[in-house]
Amino acid sequence: MSKIGRRSLLAGLGAAAVGISFAGLSGCTKPGGAGKTINFYNWDTYIGDTTLADFQTASGIKVNMSIFATNDELFAKIKTGNSGFDVIVPSNDFVTYMSQADLLLPLDHAKIPNLKNVDPAFMDPIYDPGRKFSVPYTWLVLGIGYRKSAMKDGMVPDSWKWLYDSDQYKGRIALLSESGDLMRLGAKYLGHSVNGISADVLKQVEAMLIKQKPNVKAFHSDDGQDMLMSKEVDIVMEYNGDIAQVIKEDPDLAFVVPKEGSQLNSDCLAIPKDSKNPVEAHAFINYMLDAQAGAKIYEQILYPTPNAAAKALMPDDYKNNPVIFPAPDVMAKCEYAAFEGPERAQVYDAAMTRIKAS
Amino acid sequence: MSEATRKIPPGPLEYLRRWPLQVWLALVAVFLYAPLISLMVFSFNDSRFTTVWRGFTFRWYEKAFKNASLIEAFGNSLTIALFSTLISVVVGAMAAIVLWRFRFPGKTAFNAGLAIPIVVPEICMGVGMLVFFAKVLPWPQDLIWPLNLGAIIIAHVSFSFPFVAVVVRARLASFNRELEEAARDLGASEFRTLMDIIVPHIAPSLVAGALLAFTLSLDDFVITFFTAGPDTVTFPVKVYSMVRFSVTPEVNAASTILIVVTVLLTFLALRFQGSDALTAGHDGGAGDKK
Amino acid sequence: MEQSWRQAKGMFGAMLSAPLFWLVVFFFVPLAIVFAYSFGQNVGLIDISVFTTFDNYKRAFEPLYLAIFVKSIWIAAITTFICLVLGFPVALAITFAPPKAKAWLLLLIMLPFWTNLLIRTYALMAFLRTEGYINTTWHWIFDGINAVSGGMLGDFRAMELMNTNFAVVLGLVFVNLPFMILPLYSTLDRMDRSLLEASLDLGAGHISTLFNVVVPMAGAGIASGILITFIPALGSYLTPDMLGGPDSQMIANVIESQFKRANNWPFGAALSFLLVYMTFIGIAIQGLVERKNAGRAA
Repeated sequence: MSKIGRRSLLAGLGAAAVGISFAGLSGCTKPGGAGKTINFYNWDTYIGDTTLADFQTASGIKVNMSIFATNDELFAKIKTGNSGFDVIVPSNDFVTYMSQADLLLPLDHAKIPNLKNVDPAFMDPIYDPGRKFSVPYTWLVLGIGYRKSAMKDGMVPDSWKWLYDSDQYKGRIALLSESGDLMRLGAKYLGHSVNGISADVLKQVEAMLIKQKPNVKAFHSDDGQDMLMSKEVDIVMEYNGDIAQVIKEDPDLAFVVPKEGSQLNSDCLAIPKDSKNPVEAHAFINYMLDAQAGAKIYEQILYPTPNAAAKALMPDDYKNNPVIFPAPDVMAKCEYAAFEGPERAQVYDAAMTRIKAS
Repeated sequence: MSEATRKIPPGPLEYLRRWPLQVWLALVAVFLYAPLISLMVFSFNDSRFTTVWRGFTFRWYEKAFKNASLIEAFGNSLTIALFSTLISVVVGAMAAIVLWRFRFPGKTAFNAGLAIPIVVPEICMGVGMLVFFAKVLPWPQDLIWPLNLGAIIIAHVSFSFPFVAVVVRARLASFNRELEEAARDLGASEFRTLMDIIVPHIAPSLVAGALLAFTLSLDDFVITFFTAGPDTVTFPVKVYSMVRFSVTPEVNAASTILIVVTVLLTFLALRFQGSDALTAGHDGGAGDKK
Repeated sequence: MEQSWRQAKGMFGAMLSAPLFWLVVFFFVPLAIVFAYSFGQNVGLIDISVFTTFDNYKRAFEPLYLAIFVKSIWIAAITTFICLVLGFPVALAITFAPPKAKAWLLLLIMLPFWTNLLIRTYALMAFLRTEGYINTTWHWIFDGINAVSGGMLGDFRAMELMNTNFAVVLGLVFVNLPFMILPLYSTLDRMDRSLLEASLDLGAGHISTLFNVVVPMAGAGIASGILITFIPALGSYLTPDMLGGPDSQMIANVIESQFKRANNWPFGAALSFLLVYMTFIGIAIQGLVERKNAGRAA
């Protein structure tokens, strides 16, 4: 149940969905020879209203979009084969996972000239060296979302301490239920890297969370921004994009990346190995990296873009928004969570089960 | 038709006329309906928040109607529910009749087997279906409607028809076998006996079973998600990603439409079957004689 | 009594074929794969070996998971009990309603359940939230009392309703109530009314008639209502997930996380199958009740 909230559309933000054609009447009408259809598997509300229609106008290729809610669901679907999808949007660690499991098609960079638009900082990430299997679509950082008026003496809760290790906001705290993120950030708070966490440190984090549990109102499934907005809680662990959205509606809310540093994520476009339309899939990915098309998308979904050319076209309240793009000094302390083998997820999950059951 | 001739006395058994039960019914109705009604009311709320009233608007409906993927998902769900209900009622009734009517080797096993779909955790069945349709029976992409929904329909029937069987069996238990024997003594074939004597008797349970199957199909998320292919997003799968978090009144609007449509469909069904379709047969045919 | 299948082979074959085929091919084959997984283990990144180990079951019997099982059974039992208490009078009222009202009442019970489970749960959340309808109303009453009594009650504190075990039980009752009412109604409706009349004629009160005549006669319906409510409640994961607090995890949530987050399908399969085994026990108990009832009727 991980990253649904941060994909969530803010109703009223985007223009009305005019002429979206990705619905498709599933085979009822097949215009004679008007081009192929590709199947795009995306997070919900993670694309511009007109992007798919614009692409069809430009290329003649129809895009049929389906939605998934977590990387695990995506993985479950792709791993059995015969999924029928041509373009998918896994997050960074799952790019590694799926490429190691031989589920992704190596990209042909010659077919994606728009790769030049991508910020060079994103071109050789640890999770996909040389961008062999994926191109970056968005990136995100975890941090603390909070209600300013509820903070003691107007302080900024700029430490994970307020979530993990303090009864200051007893009963007003919501943490992510995603076991991996929770354990990794706990380790970060204790001064370790989010990767290669030792068994000892993990035990410490677990004990800390068991001790903290009575102070925690809920482990939320990435709907922390809603819990904040409905005043269910005052301080939550959330992604920057989510909080950026709700700040537009409630200026009493704010976001901070804790001083200990945090964890980065990046969602990427990739092609499953068994795609039946790899040529069209490449064309679609290329289109998504186009500066104009990209600007239209990010304007609507409000996530940080790795697309430098698209970012240049964006208005100042996006480009200079400290929630969407936190200050470089704190960003320097953030790391990507690496894929550390499938057993790792089980270790984290078992710890989480113990915490909840305690 | 012994019940038909028996006078039903007024008074003592008319529990519905007694105030404690009336109050009880009212409370249960409030419990069941208040959340839904508030959900419907707030679909007209002119604010993103669903708890504070800020004025009347239709804009969420406009948004929902313009949301082509939502509309398509809605159509898919109704189609799936319709087909899976039809198949479930037939297959479920057959299972119930076999179990009620015959002694046969393996009956206990069959009986227990029928109960398993009711009880197996959804997620377990969903994963089973996912692997099944990926490895054992790959469902072709790009089929015409409604065949493209076939995998989901099959999965839905698998968990719906045992429910129908339970409901129908409960009804069959009250069947007076002398009627059946009389029919056969009078020369009716097995099939005619079935259609003319047994089916009318179980008709109310067929309707009840159909309602249950329809509900289950519309309700299901987990199994559908695992079985769904690229073309086959259903309403719950679509709504899941909308509702789960960051709910906007657009979802309230969409679900209000769903509720209204199903209510209309039900009334239509009742009209076609006669107004007492839900209770037909309960009074042993007395209704027909009036 | 029941006929031997040999006496009407054609009819028997025709009636059995479809359900049996469907059950085996579209249910047991998929389930068998999961069953095989429950004795398997992950091999490499995406493959699963089958029938190689008992470790998954061994792990499922660790105190951690046993405790979660016990908690789930407890929550499901409370839910079932409340559904029975709420649902029985409703089923009774429907049974003895005039035909026309009966149709309307059945519709009344069924109608909310055409709405998607998710939406219903969400609708409930609007009531339970800190600033939901219940707390808003309570706040209003509270202020009223305070205004009249001069602050007798002190400062307002919102009730903690959301993210609690209470919310989970409430949600489960809300969702599962019709599963209790329908089988109860089905049984009560075919009850011999003359027995009730006799009981009332002989001077027994309504309450004593209810407990001495109606409840024993409806035994089978109650048992099947309990079974049909208890089991989905035991296996539910959406409700505890959406309404529950930090300690509301039920066994299905653990199963779900094995199939998703932890990506440990074999262990998830083993936990699921433990639920299935428990179900067999439930069915066996129901069978006993039915037999006892049949014995009494004979």
